[in-house]
Amino acid sequence: MDFGFTKEEEELIEEVRVFIKQEVTPELVAETEDLGAIYGGTQARKFMKKFATKGWLTPNWPREYGGLGSSEMVTYMIRDEMAYARLPLYFVGAHMAGPTILRVGSEEMKREFLPPIARGELEFVLGYTEPDAGSDLASLTIHAEDKGDFFLVNGQKTFNTHSHVGDYHWLAARTDLDAPKHKGISMLIVDMKSKGITISPLITMAGWRTNEVFYDGVVVPKKNLVGEKNKGFYYLLGALDFERMFPPKAYQRLFEEIADYARETIVDGRPLSKNPLIRQKLAQIAIELEVAKLLYYQLAYILDKEKIPDYQSSMEKMFATEMAQRITNTGMEVLGLYGQLTKGSKWAPLAGKVEHDYRGSVVETIYAGTSEIMRNIIAQRGLGLPRG
Amino acid sequence: MKYDLSPDQKLLKDTAREFFSKEFDTTLVRDMVKDGKGFTEEHWKKMAELGWMGILIPEQYADFEMSFLDMAVLLYEMGYACFPGPFFSTAVLGVITLLEAGSDPQKQKLLPEVARGDRILTLAWTETSRAYSASGISARADLQNDHYALSGTKLFVPYAHIADTILCAARTEDPQEDREPGISLFIVDGKSPGLGVEVLSTMAGDKLCEVTLNQVRISRENLLGERNQGWSVLKRVLLKAAVAKCAEMSGGAQKVLEMVVDYAKKRVQFGQPIGSFQAIQHHCANILTYVDTSKFMTYQAAWRISQGLPFEKEASMCKAWVSDSYRQLAALGHQVMAGTGFMEETDLQLYFKQAKAAETAFGDADFHREIVAGQIGL
Repeated sequence: MDFGFTKEEEELIEEVRVFIKQEVTPELVAETEDLGAIYGGTQARKFMKKFATKGWLTPNWPREYGGLGSSEMVTYMIRDEMAYARLPLYFVGAHMAGPTILRVGSEEMKREFLPPIARGELEFVLGYTEPDAGSDLASLTIHAEDKGDFFLVNGQKTFNTHSHVGDYHWLAARTDLDAPKHKGISMLIVDMKSKGITISPLITMAGWRTNEVFYDGVVVPKKNLVGEKNKGFYYLLGALDFERMFPPKAYQRLFEEIADYARETIVDGRPLSKNPLIRQKLAQIAIELEVAKLLYYQLAYILDKEKIPDYQSSMEKMFATEMAQRITNTGMEVLGLYGQLTKGSKWAPLAGKVEHDYRGSVVETIYAGTSEIMRNIIAQRGLGLPRG
Repeated sequence: MKYDLSPDQKLLKDTAREFFSKEFDTTLVRDMVKDGKGFTEEHWKKMAELGWMGILIPEQYADFEMSFLDMAVLLYEMGYACFPGPFFSTAVLGVITLLEAGSDPQKQKLLPEVARGDRILTLAWTETSRAYSASGISARADLQNDHYALSGTKLFVPYAHIADTILCAARTEDPQEDREPGISLFIVDGKSPGLGVEVLSTMAGDKLCEVTLNQVRISRENLLGERNQGWSVLKRVLLKAAVAKCAEMSGGAQKVLEMVVDYAKKRVQFGQPIGSFQAIQHHCANILTYVDTSKFMTYQAAWRISQGLPFEKEASMCKAWVSDSYRQLAALGHQVMAGTGFMEETDLQLYFKQAKAAETAFGDADFHREIVAGQIGL
């Protein structure tokens, strides 16, 4: 066992930190907040053009496709630093579609999509959820009809958050109406500018935008089928294991700001940080952040051993996102009445960040599989309990 | 970062698992609660032969030296087996205290015997004050010409009733502001005149004792460490002991998980195994989460101690996390095993009681969170 990082890892991360410190602008941070931390905005693309030159967007990819051929450990460390710097967290191309293309895509598809993803030039749009297919994703109905030379797609997606900023849809669609529901799904790559696609905004309680996407007779070339036809659901499950990892530092920054606030704010003649109850709450968060760190890097360790984390990624996602809600709630408790003041209010502490994240963190335990689905997976895959 | 045991540690773990499953079952745990001594000579000797008493003892004193992390691996298995006895008080508490504070002649005299299984140790520091701090120690050691005279009452001293040597904290100076707290440590022979030991009746059956000292005569050479410097030694010892205790707790937690999941797969209600119900699955998923995270937090802290790195923050984080986790997961276990788990004949209840006892040992979660608060600059 070894719970430290190597000298080389530490040095690389220091280089990343220095770069981030020099290159991140307030405009980028503001844009990231406005977009709900998804990648694809103008500022983010500008930043990523330089950041990705170093291979830091996809360090674990082979060099020929724009990676550094480095370990998952390094990849996870960089993502954690990006999260700490409040850079975009959710990359569909680099973190979900790309790794799947790398595993099952044709050589032609790899050459077409992977290098521009690695350069940060292309962002994908996650196209899974439908109005009647949420946790029960295999029930999706959007139909991709095989027309010989192309697929003809009709149907609807919802909560496809990257739609208004991304370039290509990472679309799960039904290609066999007669097969059992999880055996009739394929993954397609669809240009978001295709004729027949309509994007309609949905505004979340966190203030950022997600979307409904309507397909009306959209033509998708055959070469954009990912891997084999009707195997899409299995690819998607594999991609979810990559998606289900949550950098613990995403909320560490907020925690540090809350702790600073507690140190600087005098109530009844003493700093809040000297109040025993507040000390207990903040210390508990510090402990949970440490726990989340160990769960997070365990995933990298498993991947570097060339194994696939299964229940472990669900556990990490569940723990880190539930922790995120405890952090924002603790922040609201520390701020008291002031906690409800929104950004722009003259009395709002920490520029309304706690209030904003308190609202925003509601979705953490929902997207990419709810905490309840995570617990089902932990119980069934991790402990071998029977499906009900 | 590496999360796997080394081949040597795997061997140690397998050896321990085999030893405890072959030599011993939970009937013995129940017998030991009733038994006056609380351990059997036979097991003690065999464990000494395996070299376990000497894991933390440097090779100049015995032949079995391994690391603190290795000790954690062994303690995990003891916790898994719910193994009772004075191993922890001897090979962890006693040995660490001697290593932290002892002179070479003191170590030379005591440690080889410990490694051979010929000497049982314990550490006496808590008292009736309920305070877990230097100010809570009021037992006095008065210097009288060539010796100290020790008087006072110690509580919760593990296995003092069979200890050959009691390492005892006592006040050698009145508390004063801005000064070291005036605590010194002494090596006390378990058979000293003036020493009284009474075993307390405890929930989990651990042999915790009241030790009364009435003008117990201690020669000056049995002052352990520097005079008045004992508290800083104790703080380090107790923090390391807290991590060691977490290793035991993590092993116990793993056993709870296995018992509970096994039950959930076999117990049929409404025509199907209860483990197929989401309510039960979610309890089990929470138990596994507590188990995995307790293990990681424990091994991280133990690794830091082994590497000679600063460990104060990680150790307190570990004890706070594992204390809460073990109690909560044992309670969830009872929810799954229901009436069966509540029966004395079922092992789950042994672990439930151990979880509470271990939670309070060496500082509970609140205590350690306060340390963490200080460590993060609050």
